Amino acid sequence: MTEPLVKVRDLAVHFPVEKGLFFKKTVAHVRAVDGVSFDIYPGETLGLVGESGCGKSTLGRAILQLIRPTAGKVFFQGEDLTQLRGEALRDARCDFQIIFQDPYGSLNPRMTVGDIVGEPLKIFNIVRGKAWERRVQELFGLVGLDPKFIRRYPHEFSGGQRQRIGIARALALNPKFIVADEPISSLDVSIQAQILNLMMDLQKQLNLTYLFIAHDLAAVRHVSSRVAVMYLGKVVEVADRNEIYAAPKHPYTRALLSAVPLPDPEIQKKRQRIVLQGDVPSPLTPPPGCPFHTRCPEALHHCSLDVPKFKDYGVGHFVSCHLMEK
Amino acid sequence: MTEPLLSVKNLQTEFRTREGVVKAVGGISFDLRAGETLGVVGESGSGKSVSFLSLMRLIPEPPGKIVGGEILFQGRDLLKLPPELMRRVRGDQISMIFQDPMTSLNPFLKISRQMTEVLEEHRSLFGEKALKVAIQMLDAVGIPESARRIHDYPHQFSGGMRQRVMIAMALLCQPKLLIADEPTTALDVTIQAQILELLKELQKEFQMAVVLITHNLGVAAQLCETIAVMYAGKIVEYGPVEEIFYRPKHPYTMGLLRSVPRLDEKISARLETIQGQPPDLLALPQGCSYTPRCHCAVERCGKEYPDAIQLDEQHYSRCWKAKELT
Repeated sequence: MTEPLVKVRDLAVHFPVEKGLFFKKTVAHVRAVDGVSFDIYPGETLGLVGESGCGKSTLGRAILQLIRPTAGKVFFQGEDLTQLRGEALRDARCDFQIIFQDPYGSLNPRMTVGDIVGEPLKIFNIVRGKAWERRVQELFGLVGLDPKFIRRYPHEFSGGQRQRIGIARALALNPKFIVADEPISSLDVSIQAQILNLMMDLQKQLNLTYLFIAHDLAAVRHVSSRVAVMYLGKVVEVADRNEIYAAPKHPYTRALLSAVPLPDPEIQKKRQRIVLQGDVPSPLTPPPGCPFHTRCPEALHHCSLDVPKFKDYGVGHFVSCHLMEK
Repeated sequence: MTEPLLSVKNLQTEFRTREGVVKAVGGISFDLRAGETLGVVGESGSGKSVSFLSLMRLIPEPPGKIVGGEILFQGRDLLKLPPELMRRVRGDQISMIFQDPMTSLNPFLKISRQMTEVLEEHRSLFGEKALKVAIQMLDAVGIPESARRIHDYPHQFSGGMRQRVMIAMALLCQPKLLIADEPTTALDVTIQAQILELLKELQKEFQMAVVLITHNLGVAAQLCETIAVMYAGKIVEYGPVEEIFYRPKHPYTMGLLRSVPRLDEKISARLETIQGQPPDLLALPQGCSYTPRCHCAVERCGKEYPDAIQLDEQHYSRCWKAKELT
């Protein structure tokens, strides 16, 4: 068995809620990520799905130490990132990068796209002058953009092209691990497929490992080797891609999959769907016991009392559900 | 054959901007029967929303202008109505719900005020009577404790509940036609499933025609009987939902259906893509706007835009090669 590239252990991110104008007092905590553990293996894509507000993005950022976790550990190639500070953390960052959701907000409008893509190279003093320009042009080629464009500004590009620029920037330092935070959800339908294909090609070519965060379950199925499902700050199920889509074990995963409308009128008519009642509870006051018990169609009495353990139910299929323990 | 409820003929809407004239809607025509559900699909900028905002006469003028066409609603041309009469149609016989319920509800007014205002305007119902009707409507859309919640402000509702409030408000006068502009795009999949289910039930109950504007092919397949596919301000294909999904006859529709990853399909290594970018509406190419991205374009496509070619009783495609495509 290969060693995981990234090991996440009991990771938690709690944001304080403050009250008072001058003397701020912490009155509560938003438990955005609340005790999450999983591994990411080299060369794989781990898909991370869940509804908005479940803590997907916070988790992605906490792994990269862009948000400092409240508790828990993140091991990257054996090194605990939560212990790193200043210069040491900065150096470690060469190996892990992020691609953002919004290709409009994440590129500085006053910089040329060449400077944006090449900035990491300058910061880490890797190449200068002509060699720098060659490397930037090479990166442009890699993501399918014309290298002639390096002196243009972000507003001259379409959404899909900007996302390619964001990807080129993430690749500049030859990282091993990339967190892609909803990389396609702000793109047009006809452009999404282009970006998914590009990301998969680059993965093969450069031997990248991805954490692919998205709410589009069909896209996640397409790109991922394994999938993790999050609900209210907790990972409720992790399994191999084929396994989780064919035989989901957690009632939330089942409901989530059955709620996705399929582009096929006949199947849509015949299909039995589980329509969940109610809304996602607030992460300020998560329900006791299993976080899903308030909406779960199969909830038992003790689901509201204690938190189910996150356990392996065979070949790396992790589930946290009391129904499984029986 | 009965008179259609709505008959749009060659509707054209333009926006005059500093850079030039944007032809947002470039001549669309279609009929809608009473009680029918029409799905309008297309990417952002394809003119879906502008077409139906034009129909409601809600295009800001300037910069926008409806430059031609007819909109016959129950035999009357809405474009010829004086503004006061149009106001009586709007919210009474034709209602609209929008993508983002937070920005379409007034944050300063209680739901009760926003709902009774509609009844005062259109039904001359005031005070307790209006409130009673409003509460009944909130019940109909599934808001628990409606008599208490009606006195809440919009921010006190969750996203899904807010969309229910919007729907209730739109249905207060029992419109003949409901235009739903991306009603579930801002919502999570499990909440989306609830709202789609609700729309389906309400349509049956109130016997209204529904226009569902969406970019999600799955949503359209689930709810609609007829589909209109829009590209660059034109309806490029129109037909019964089964025809569009199983026997598409426009290269754009075919490309769109193939490029979307599906939950129920075998996973292929690469997604099929549509090459290139959506066109710039300021500088539409000569002839068919899809020509630059089309894999089966012939010389003629770059010169003339075909009229709708009838393929079946109800199935139309604006492609020169529609009859040869399989």
